[in-house]
Amino acid sequence: MTKSRRRGESFEPRIVAFCCNWCSYAGADLAGTSRMQMPPNVRIIRVNCTGRVDPLFILEALYQGADGVLISGCHPGDCHYTSGNIKMRARYALLQNLLEQAGIDPRRVHLQWASAAEGDVFAEGVSMMVERIKKIGPNPMREGE
Amino acid sequence: MTIRVAFAQLTSCWGCDQSLMDLHMRLLEVLPQLEILYWPAVVDYKLADLEALPRNSIHVGFVEGSCRTEEDVHLLNVMREKSKLLVAWGSCSCYGGVQGLANIWPLAELVERKFQRAETITDARVPDVNVPPFTEHIVPNPDRVKFDMILPGCPPTSDNIYDIVVALLTGAPFELPETTVCDQCPRKREEKHITRFKRTFEGKPDPEKCLLDQGYLCLGFATIGLCGAQCPSANSPCKGCFGPPPSVKDHGAKIISALGAIADIDPEELKKMFPDPVGSFYFTDYAASYLAKIGAKKREER
Repeated sequence: MTKSRRRGESFEPRIVAFCCNWCSYAGADLAGTSRMQMPPNVRIIRVNCTGRVDPLFILEALYQGADGVLISGCHPGDCHYTSGNIKMRARYALLQNLLEQAGIDPRRVHLQWASAAEGDVFAEGVSMMVERIKKIGPNPMREGE
Repeated sequence: MTIRVAFAQLTSCWGCDQSLMDLHMRLLEVLPQLEILYWPAVVDYKLADLEALPRNSIHVGFVEGSCRTEEDVHLLNVMREKSKLLVAWGSCSCYGGVQGLANIWPLAELVERKFQRAETITDARVPDVNVPPFTEHIVPNPDRVKFDMILPGCPPTSDNIYDIVVALLTGAPFELPETTVCDQCPRKREEKHITRFKRTFEGKPDPEKCLLDQGYLCLGFATIGLCGAQCPSANSPCKGCFGPPPSVKDHGAKIISALGAIADIDPEELKKMFPDPVGSFYFTDYAASYLAKIGAKKREER
């Protein structure tokens, strides 16, 4: 990953986005080909389904210094594998509780739905995520880079 | 040849010693082959005796408990220096133990709660004479010094300890299993479809059926299969005290992953059912989790 800027300078968050192959990855692609504007802070990792996103991936991303983790998948009911996104939603709920209790801002991890046709929703989600993380500040694991 | 052994106790309940004692008559098979160099729980040796030993003079050193005080850190370092082979004995030593749950709070807050705001205290003061200072947070022993072997458990069963001691005496290989408590559990499992999680005191669990199927948070599926499924066999859900199998990096993450797949519950409802996720999902291994490490870093910065 690229080097982050120090405190005092404007903070550019590094965000890991897990996008499902069938909806959000295609949605992100559409946003790109349609030349929609969004901040370049997101590194997308394509997964087959948000149901494949083990909470371990999210915690490990934070541990390795990601300022935020965005998970983007199909709308409930639209999952290519019937219910992967519903499972992610339940995991996300538990993870939010866990992060909060552990003293880590739960807004660092965000789950959103964006279909293949919703490039605008994806771009909007990314913009909001970046804004949110800018307010929260850098991940403490990034210090000393 | 006699094997020179030492047993060191850091911050812990000394339950692992109790479990070793529970070997009863089987101890007689092992004891003649052991030369005990240090074991405060049963033999009157002092720290100075251990410190006086030459480097690498202990064949096998067992370390129980975690480092809550600077004295513990010192004892751990001495054990490492004097032992050829060092064994992390019990969940406290391997993962930080129940004490690790305290990592959610900063040390100052813990000290204040314990020594100044505890309900039974009348003359509040923080002890500072003849006591070692506390460590900032619990760090699992294997993150402090190198260990050659770990044996988790809270406590490891007498059989586990017997197995490891026999393996050490005979040179037989000893590997932690990748199986889970579920593999050892005699209960009948069905398709999992949970609509409500129950607290342990609610209702009466069916002694034949899988506890998780019945809606009790039984963590057998994410916990290493060493204990012989003692708790589920006694109609009590597994609390995950032995920690995860070796290939699982983060116990809680694995538990959340599995619960998400089987819970047929509205997310908001689900949140309410687990008001204490750290306590529920990381009973003895929070100090070894990613979150505890991030939290420690965050506090260091302040």
